[in-house]
Amino acid sequence: MIATRRWIAPLAALLVLTSCGYDATRVPEPDAAPTQPGAAGEPVECDNPLASYSPSGDAEAARAQLINEGRLVVGVSADTFQMGWSNPIENGVIKGFDIDVARDIAEALGVRLQLRVISAADRVSLLQAGEIDLVARNMTVNCDRWSKIGFSAVYYNATQKVLVRADDAEAFEREGVTSLAGKKVCAPRGSTSIDNITEIQPDAEAVAATNHTGCLVKFQQGEVDAITGDDTVLAGLAAQDPYAVVPEQDKLTDEPYGIGVNADDIALIRFVNSVLADRVSTGEWKRSYDTWLKPYLGVDVKAPTPDHSR
Amino acid sequence: MTQAAPTPAPAPPVVQPATTPAAARQPAPSYVDTPALLNRWQLIGMSVAIVFAVLSALVQLVGWQSDGRAADDTEQLLRVQEIQSTLLRADALATNAFLVGGLEDTDDRAEYDAAIDSVLRQIAAAADAQPADQDVLADLNVAINDYDSAVARARDFNRLGYPVGAEYLTGASTALRADAIPILEALVAANTDRAEGAMNGQHPFWLLAIGLLALAGLLWLNQQLAQHFRRRINKGIAIAAAIVVGVTVVAVIGAWARDSSNDGLRDGSLAVAVSQATARTAANDAKANESLRLIKRGSGADYETAWSEAAAVAEDALRRDTGDAWDAYADAHADIVELDDGGDWEQARDLATTDDADGSTDDLDAFDGQSQAIVDTESAKVTDDLRSGRWLALTVSVLTLLLGIVAAVAVARGVGERRREFA
Repeated sequence: MIATRRWIAPLAALLVLTSCGYDATRVPEPDAAPTQPGAAGEPVECDNPLASYSPSGDAEAARAQLINEGRLVVGVSADTFQMGWSNPIENGVIKGFDIDVARDIAEALGVRLQLRVISAADRVSLLQAGEIDLVARNMTVNCDRWSKIGFSAVYYNATQKVLVRADDAEAFEREGVTSLAGKKVCAPRGSTSIDNITEIQPDAEAVAATNHTGCLVKFQQGEVDAITGDDTVLAGLAAQDPYAVVPEQDKLTDEPYGIGVNADDIALIRFVNSVLADRVSTGEWKRSYDTWLKPYLGVDVKAPTPDHSR
Repeated sequence: MTQAAPTPAPAPPVVQPATTPAAARQPAPSYVDTPALLNRWQLIGMSVAIVFAVLSALVQLVGWQSDGRAADDTEQLLRVQEIQSTLLRADALATNAFLVGGLEDTDDRAEYDAAIDSVLRQIAAAADAQPADQDVLADLNVAINDYDSAVARARDFNRLGYPVGAEYLTGASTALRADAIPILEALVAANTDRAEGAMNGQHPFWLLAIGLLALAGLLWLNQQLAQHFRRRINKGIAIAAAIVVGVTVVAVIGAWARDSSNDGLRDGSLAVAVSQATARTAANDAKANESLRLIKRGSGADYETAWSEAAAVAEDALRRDTGDAWDAYADAHADIVELDDGGDWEQARDLATTDDADGSTDDLDAFDGQSQAIVDTESAKVTDDLRSGRWLALTVSVLTLLLGIVAAVAVARGVGERRREFA
């Protein structure tokens, strides 16, 4: 090509002499990427997803099921404000309501705690792959997940709600999800939240983001009008933006949280249930709730009654 | 040069004008209008000399202009690469500073601001230097403005202790790679093509062909005159031919030498400068991905994959004098990965952010500085060389025109001499 240009160039140059314009630079079009929000799998029916195993204080049996000797690896969130987030002001320390649970379990086991930040989409796969021992990441207990992993007893009863702009709050309180018709509502990709809002308000446009914090970025940039998710998560988002509010509303769904465990690690599940029960009885659960969630949810709640009937 | 003596050959086919009535009555003889023929040959000969001079001077001028464009295109190419490297340097600084927390190091902040200022100024300079790049540079300007705004928001939220700050930062880095980097890659590709094309602007074969054609024309003319006037060589045409040969030899040698020099530059200093700039860009990309991996704390597997890809580009592209610095950085990164994978995130973070010699930042900075020095040195060699001797090329081009006029006059006088003989 260059050789051809070697011969053609003088002829062209002689014609235009000093004019030597170049073609405008063009940027190649990127490959089109699918943008459809991922759908959660079909729900699996089961009798009682809230039922877990009876508690046991046998720490030795539980320790025997840890992946690493003397170390408990817990998958957590680092961007869910008040539940599990990395605080830059305190040198990146991860803390929150979920983190308190993880610390108490590690302390009761007598092992070192390693917090591994994971995404919501990785929770089940990392447990199944044997890369983490537990998941303490606002994880809803349901039948579909019980078919893949095990769960502790429920340690918090969250509900799915909607966060809106401050100037939309009055309309939402008056009309509920009807006011979302024609509006863009964000939820994490592949979550049940995005399916729920599509089912409950089909006239709303569901917009997917990587996580809830990604939804908050879209919300602040005007790309979406509302965010739906667990009330605990939405409270954390609202705390970061004075123009984001969670109006008084009826819950869309129940989202009971449990600690995710590998399905085969029943001794570990029993031990976790023992720790969870102790946290309630010693008042640690309430202290933790009052510290992290009550200031943002604004209500007093009681610890859920555990179901150990599995 | 002397004229050959007339030969005792038959009389030339020049026929005296038929003036007698007897002759008028005879069938029309073969008639040649010698003065008109001489005028025509004179015109042809002068035209050959002038056209030769104009074409040869133009081809030389094109080569001269081409070298100038090659220098400009090379500067634009390296300017665009500098924008790319500096932009990823800024991203590496922003992400690394983020790891430290809300109270970032003031020197790092100042360096980030300086990097963004430099990028924006260079975009303005690039748009001024190459109109064909202006549209995409305008898009690049928008992308960088968006990036800088997102980083500023990330800082603000980070200082407040809100996790949405990290989301803004990772989003900014992702958008930077999705929006700005493809534009810069397109600019690098376009300007590489332009610079290499312009470096092929010397055409010794065309100069040789023009000279040979002019010489052939003059030889033909000399042959025609020789047939009619029994002079083997016409002095004026001989002078013109000598001028054509001399000018062609000088022009061809000059263009060939310049062409060879340009080939050497393209494969030498330019290649080194481009490769090292690519290595510098990739190294800063790798450092940014290292920080993003740590910001994501265990869910940054994608960033580690991106680090490996950037590291492979850097290792393939780095040319000289930086091997140790890169290896030291790669070793430090391996230590960070080992610590992070082993559950010691805090120590991994400290190793990634410390300015001490055992951290990855110091090694990366060393590689960055060495790479920049190499790029500056080699690019200066390229542009200096391309612009050197241009006055000589222009002088030869003008001389070609003047000598062409001299050759035309010589032809005119040579043919005029025959006209006087005929008269």
